[in-house]
Amino acid sequence: MTICVGTTCYLLGAADLQDLENFLPADLKENVEIIGSHCLGVCKDNQYGAAPFVKVDDEMMSNATVSSIIEKIYEHRKGSSHAG
Amino acid sequence: MMINDEAFIEVEYSQLIKGGEAVAGDDFKTEIIPGEQRYISVLSDGLGSGIKAALLSNMTTAMALKFVAHNTEVVKSSEIIMDSLPVCEVRKISYATFTIVDLINGTKARVIEMDNPEFIHLRHNEEVKHEKKIRFSQKWPSRKLLLSEFPVQLEDRIIFFSDGVTQAGLGMKPHKFGWMRDGCLKYIQELIADNPEISARSLARSVVRQACCMDQSGKPLDDITCAVIYFRHPRRLRLLTGPPFKEENDSVYVDWFRNFNGKKIVCGGTTAQIVSRELGIPIRTDLKNRTRGLPPPSQMEGIDLVTEGILTLTELAVTLEKETPLSQMQPVIQNFYNLLMDSDVIEFIVGTKINEAHQDPNLPVDLEMRRNIIKRIQTCLENQYRKKVTVHYI
Repeated sequence: MTICVGTTCYLLGAADLQDLENFLPADLKENVEIIGSHCLGVCKDNQYGAAPFVKVDDEMMSNATVSSIIEKIYEHRKGSSHAG
Repeated sequence: MMINDEAFIEVEYSQLIKGGEAVAGDDFKTEIIPGEQRYISVLSDGLGSGIKAALLSNMTTAMALKFVAHNTEVVKSSEIIMDSLPVCEVRKISYATFTIVDLINGTKARVIEMDNPEFIHLRHNEEVKHEKKIRFSQKWPSRKLLLSEFPVQLEDRIIFFSDGVTQAGLGMKPHKFGWMRDGCLKYIQELIADNPEISARSLARSVVRQACCMDQSGKPLDDITCAVIYFRHPRRLRLLTGPPFKEENDSVYVDWFRNFNGKKIVCGGTTAQIVSRELGIPIRTDLKNRTRGLPPPSQMEGIDLVTEGILTLTELAVTLEKETPLSQMQPVIQNFYNLLMDSDVIEFIVGTKINEAHQDPNLPVDLEMRRNIIKRIQTCLENQYRKKVTVHYI
């Protein structure tokens, strides 16, 4: 997953999301790769909602918080295990 | 100061304050007189230490700069300086040493010395000795002025210091009489032999640090100041920030990096994306590199520094304006600062497109306009840090 730490996202909450790794439950910690991005390129486009933006697999999330990200990761895991 | 496209005069100094004092009793000032292609530098050591010495040395450097710039006769200038300094209550004299280096057209140096250790002129890492004229003041017969004039050329260095350098380690083994000018000269020559292009900034810092080590107590026993003038090929840096006003100019924008041999900085997420796309270099952002208050830097192969835009540039502007000590800067600003300080000619290529997301009323801080921040940084780098700066808008 990718956390945008561009100016707007950083100011609207991504500064706190950088610590996400510390808040991940044990079962996710080893299976989730967290990387940063200087811009996911969607903040100028209102259709995506508000910053901070985070991408889990290929899905863009707006208004991301630690809990909403964890929820989304579980959702994706479930989805991929169903598919598999 | 740029002499021509191939020659730049780098003037830097470094200073340590005597242990236990709050201010330096030595002072260094420098001034560029652009219309005349002149660069004047003065180093003064005030009698004693602390505020009293600071007052004497600051008055001396300020007056000396003015007198030299106005071409006032040397002995007359020195007499006025000596007459003006307040008399020390304890010692009943008014006194501050000085070394004045007046560079004309980048080709000629005129040096006026009074009671500081004699300056060093290095060419091909060998000392060049100069015949000095001696002048006495009738009013102050015990004060001796040494005058020298000589041509300078590319790769020459002029180094001068206060006696805190030459007397470092005084009374301690193995330098019972201190480091002395010869010891310092030998050390400088070793440094240059190891690193022939060592900057004025690094050389001045190394001399001061080494002098401090000689004192063995760990803190300087006197104010220690060293100034270095280096006639060098300019070191160039280009910084790209902000997307171009028109998207079709993206390629022209990144052209500033193609075939450029100097240091390269990218400031801004969108800017990094443009550079990445145009040059085919991926961007990596490691969240573990983060520092408090600023987004983390990224890495791009071949680019020396990739940072976030407005917040980082604003923090840099404040840091430069306040002359914040290196140790108190955040790591990304430290890198930024070092890259700027190790460059002589700095070019800002500024894309002027407004980022609409930055106008969001929900943002907790006001984001300054990119152009305004760059103007602040430009003014500061030119006036406080003696850099040659150009700004191109696109």
